[in-house]
Amino acid sequence: MSQQLIKVRPTKIELVKLKRRLSLAQRVQKIVKDRLSILTMEFLQVARETVKAREKLVESFSELYRSLSVASGYHGYMALEKELLATESEVSAIAGTRNVAGVRIPSFELTGDEKAMKRYSMIDTSAYVDRAAQSSERCLEAIIEIAELQRSLELLGKEINKAKRITNALEYVIIPSLQTTIDFLNLTFEERDREEKTRLKRVKMLIEEK
Amino acid sequence: MPPDSAYERVLQTCLKGELKVVNSGLPKRRKLLSTLLGEKYPYVECNDGTPYLFKRKELICLAGMLSTDEQESLLLPIIIEVETNQPQAAAICGGNIEEKVLSKIIGMTLTYRDGKFRLYLPQLALIRKELKTTTQYVFSPSVL
Repeated sequence: MSQQLIKVRPTKIELVKLKRRLSLAQRVQKIVKDRLSILTMEFLQVARETVKAREKLVESFSELYRSLSVASGYHGYMALEKELLATESEVSAIAGTRNVAGVRIPSFELTGDEKAMKRYSMIDTSAYVDRAAQSSERCLEAIIEIAELQRSLELLGKEINKAKRITNALEYVIIPSLQTTIDFLNLTFEERDREEKTRLKRVKMLIEEK
Repeated sequence: MPPDSAYERVLQTCLKGELKVVNSGLPKRRKLLSTLLGEKYPYVECNDGTPYLFKRKELICLAGMLSTDEQESLLLPIIIEVETNQPQAAAICGGNIEEKVLSKIIGMTLTYRDGKFRLYLPQLALIRKELKTTTQYVFSPSVL
């Protein structure tokens, strides 16, 4: 691919400047590439975890529906609903952030009363309701986990895209054009040297002829 | 093309910006594992002023691997320095405790070279899987 030459005066000072720019561009490229590899690794990790979390979520919800239907069959819908009203409580979670190579990723953790789901009467209910309560706790954990992972995946993906664009711009446009210009300047200087030598030889010949 | 100085300024800004962005998550001051375990919301403050939250599950997991004395000398988050253009990262370890924790997680002893423990990318992935919040990357300008 032919690279665009940067319009500069063919002088030694310009060559030095261009070389400095090239090393700077290479430094930036190194950092961005490293960051990209780390981000990709994290992205793949999060993607794998998301798949697992999604499976877990589906599994826990189907288990919850099963146990709820068994419990409602055993106690009757009205009685179960009355008991479930007692389990209604606020869910509290700590929300914070963690930083992965410059990407701020959300972090959630469930806190609070572990027995929030078990505030129903133990005398009037059976083990089926206990099982349903346990399943609902697992569902809640799975929802929190999937929320964190899903958002992380989104943010990491966006950042990878951005980093890739910068790397590509540096790798395929900026650095090659700088290198081409440096090569062009070197060739120009060599050409000038050759011209100078030929001129001197010609002058020498003319002097000798006289 | 922008004029020379502007062009260089753009590259310099890009370089500074990249370093700033990648290192913005570094903690101002690290905390001891024992201190974090005692906190209600275990966190450290980052360079950009944002709180960096630790997962209690991870802290408990770390505490399970270490004795009480070791818990009182392990600073968190564990900093992992990424080397430029290398298929490896070097973990900056203040002592043997980090090495003990990391080698326990990856299930093998770590390579020790130039005063640092070497971690290869697959090992790093394993560590990050277990210790998401208790480890932190740093892109050192010294590698430039």
